[in-house]
Amino acid sequence: MQTQKDILKYLLGQVWKPARYTGNEWNAVKKEHSSVDLRMAFAFPDLYEVGMSNHGLKILYESINRNPGMLMERVFSPATDMEELLRKYNLPLFSLESHKPLKEFDIIGFSLQYELSYTNVLNMLDLADIPLRTEDRKGDHPLIVGGGPCAFNPEPLAPFFDLFVLGEAEECLPAILTGYMDLKRHGYERNEIIARLSTFEGVYVPSLYNPAYSGEEFIGMERKDDRAPEMIRKVTVENLDTAPFPKAPPVPYLQTIHDRAVIELFRGCGRGCRFCQAGYIFKPVRRRSRDKLQQTAKEIIDNTGYEELSLVSLSSTDYPHLEELINNLDSDLSARKVKCSLPSLRLDSYSIKLADKLHQGRKSSLTFAPEAATERLRKVIKKNITEEEIFTSLGDAIDAGWQGFKLYFMIGLPAEHDEDVVEIVNLCRRLREYFKGRAKRKISINVSVATFVPKSHTPFQWEPQLSMDEVNRRQDILRTGFKKLRGVDFSWHDARASFLEAVFARGDRKLAPALEHAWQMGCRFDGWSEYFDFSLWQRAFQKTAVRGEDYAYRRFSYDQCLPWDHLSCGVDKNMLIAEHQKSLAGEKPEGVTHDPDLL
Amino acid sequence: MTRICFNYARKEQIKYISHLDMMRLFQRALRRSGLPLAYSEGFSPHPRFNLAAPLPVDVTADDELGEVFFKEEIAPEEFILKLKKQLPEGLEIKRAQAVDKQAPALPSLVSAALYQARLVTVSPQLEVNIEAYRSALERLLDKEEILAPRSSRKGKRKTNVNVRPYINEAYFNGDEHEDQVVLKLLLQTGSRGGVSPVFVLEQLDFELGEKRPSHVNWNLHRIRLYRDCNGSLKPLSEGMCI
Repeated sequence: MQTQKDILKYLLGQVWKPARYTGNEWNAVKKEHSSVDLRMAFAFPDLYEVGMSNHGLKILYESINRNPGMLMERVFSPATDMEELLRKYNLPLFSLESHKPLKEFDIIGFSLQYELSYTNVLNMLDLADIPLRTEDRKGDHPLIVGGGPCAFNPEPLAPFFDLFVLGEAEECLPAILTGYMDLKRHGYERNEIIARLSTFEGVYVPSLYNPAYSGEEFIGMERKDDRAPEMIRKVTVENLDTAPFPKAPPVPYLQTIHDRAVIELFRGCGRGCRFCQAGYIFKPVRRRSRDKLQQTAKEIIDNTGYEELSLVSLSSTDYPHLEELINNLDSDLSARKVKCSLPSLRLDSYSIKLADKLHQGRKSSLTFAPEAATERLRKVIKKNITEEEIFTSLGDAIDAGWQGFKLYFMIGLPAEHDEDVVEIVNLCRRLREYFKGRAKRKISINVSVATFVPKSHTPFQWEPQLSMDEVNRRQDILRTGFKKLRGVDFSWHDARASFLEAVFARGDRKLAPALEHAWQMGCRFDGWSEYFDFSLWQRAFQKTAVRGEDYAYRRFSYDQCLPWDHLSCGVDKNMLIAEHQKSLAGEKPEGVTHDPDLL
Repeated sequence: MTRICFNYARKEQIKYISHLDMMRLFQRALRRSGLPLAYSEGFSPHPRFNLAAPLPVDVTADDELGEVFFKEEIAPEEFILKLKKQLPEGLEIKRAQAVDKQAPALPSLVSAALYQARLVTVSPQLEVNIEAYRSALERLLDKEEILAPRSSRKGKRKTNVNVRPYINEAYFNGDEHEDQVVLKLLLQTGSRGGVSPVFVLEQLDFELGEKRPSHVNWNLHRIRLYRDCNGSLKPLSEGMCI
């Protein structure tokens, strides 16, 4: 008789990049399942290479595994070749560390980073042989938990999850797990356990709430159980210096998207760009002390052997005295030839100076996100950089030896006109002309244009998404414009994928059947253009009598109840309204400069 | 400056990674070990480190070689002790020795490799027709030309190369394991041209055609590497290659 182990071994010989599934990396934590009270699987609904680049995974892996009585193992979406074989040989989805079926864990926690990974969530539950819907799960099934940015509007996923954790879970998760163990030990039945967990800070149990409608209009959540709070407030880590920090994360064998050591300088962002959900849901700004960062940086390199250390946060160059920190890190790590890097740069001279300091060798290209090409539109979205600043910073970069730029823009922003779109092309033309002859070589410009997706908990949450036809028309303007502009490489996002993202970002529970249907018809990895099949989604919407347009294109009024109004990220709705009005009045927002006191 | 040549084995647990992954794995382990690595000059310094020959994904090995430079004197015993602590399960350092700093780079010495391919199955009632395999192999070896696609250095131009001359030996030794199909392959490898064992097995499967059983897999193992010694092959690890 062949054991599952033999079958797995055989399958690994058949798939592309088998190391996606084998685990056993340096620093991977292996605990005997029988030696702990609680076993949790961290499930990431995308490929290993994507999931292993997620900092949240590393934080929670540390937060749980440092408890002797608990273990956390990892599981990622199997690629389509592996899925096919798992189904063919009837092998359940398994974790990387112990290769045990997911069904044998007490809790499975999904990281919800992106709306277009939702079909992968359902697929993973199905491959694990766990009923998709919370109502169909029995006592011995694992508890299905969701967290991450999308947990701030999880309504389209509500029927599939037992609970969501809102906010930063590294400190509260062990307490929730202990609470779960205690309730289980007391012999309560599944539904009672889940109901009692709803009293924990940051925990949202969707099955305890009933969306109420007046006609077609959503008018708020009715609680089915008095214990469930009316408003669920996110959890926040107060002091990053004392919070769990991944000092010894697993070091992947495969090259991942971000294959490097990471230290997080601060959480939150003081900039307040109005389109940016992260800026709002991670409020307030909290920073790690320089001493703590310096000490942990050294430990991480000792423990991982990485050749690069990335200083991450939403706007890293806003960290006070960043230059000094980099100098100190350099003197600690230069003997081992470890390079420091910054994930993103602002368009200001200070950032260019830092980039120059960090970068030695061939300076291929720098990445910036002006987001909009006209100053007027940048003011609307509160991305406060002037045209002069753009030219000065890029000029500094060219003088420092950089040979190219990657520029990120969005179209479909509120209050955008054709002039703003055309201006993306014109700005690039002016840049090319202005810098002609200034660099030794021709500078290259890569322009990537995304479509704006209005997100919950931002000042633009009431705004509709631009219609697909209109997005396509504006993309045509860009395509035509850039065709005439040599030396600029232009790429754009599929309007249909952005549409789907908007549908789910602003969606409610009525979308759940469409999601399930789309998955049944074969939708997977919707965020990957090679797998995205919009026609399947159209059929799924049709079959389940859902109009995606009603979600993506809808303009909410201020007095309307939003599907996520019962979930609070700590920002007052009136403040969002004020910001929204300010943006449309074209009013100049308060000046933001590089100021250490900003944080 | 010390140059150390070492012997290692790669077992099942980490056989699923590529050559570049192996390079990264060793370099990161070396950085963790705290040993005083020597780095290349220039703007993006790399540890001066080499593996003798790339191991394909999904291949285990017993007798592989690597070399590394240190900027200080390091005893081979200390090297083994410190690196061992930093290597994952399934990667074993066996021996190490200091070698002449001026000797040619390790990869340039490799000229052939001996592989063992074993047919494994997940189907409980599989009958493998070993005679079919023998005659397929015979047909394959009888060919004067076996073309393998190669892309040019920049990856733009695709050409076909005749790899038949690179198959030095290929034979089944079926008698020792009655129920198993075991194939030995001695293949040319290295800078003067070569062929991958994975490609040879694909060609063999192709020759089998319909007679190829389903639910089977080749389990590949590299037994040792060879260098060319005045026209005859000597194990590369003998006398630590220098």
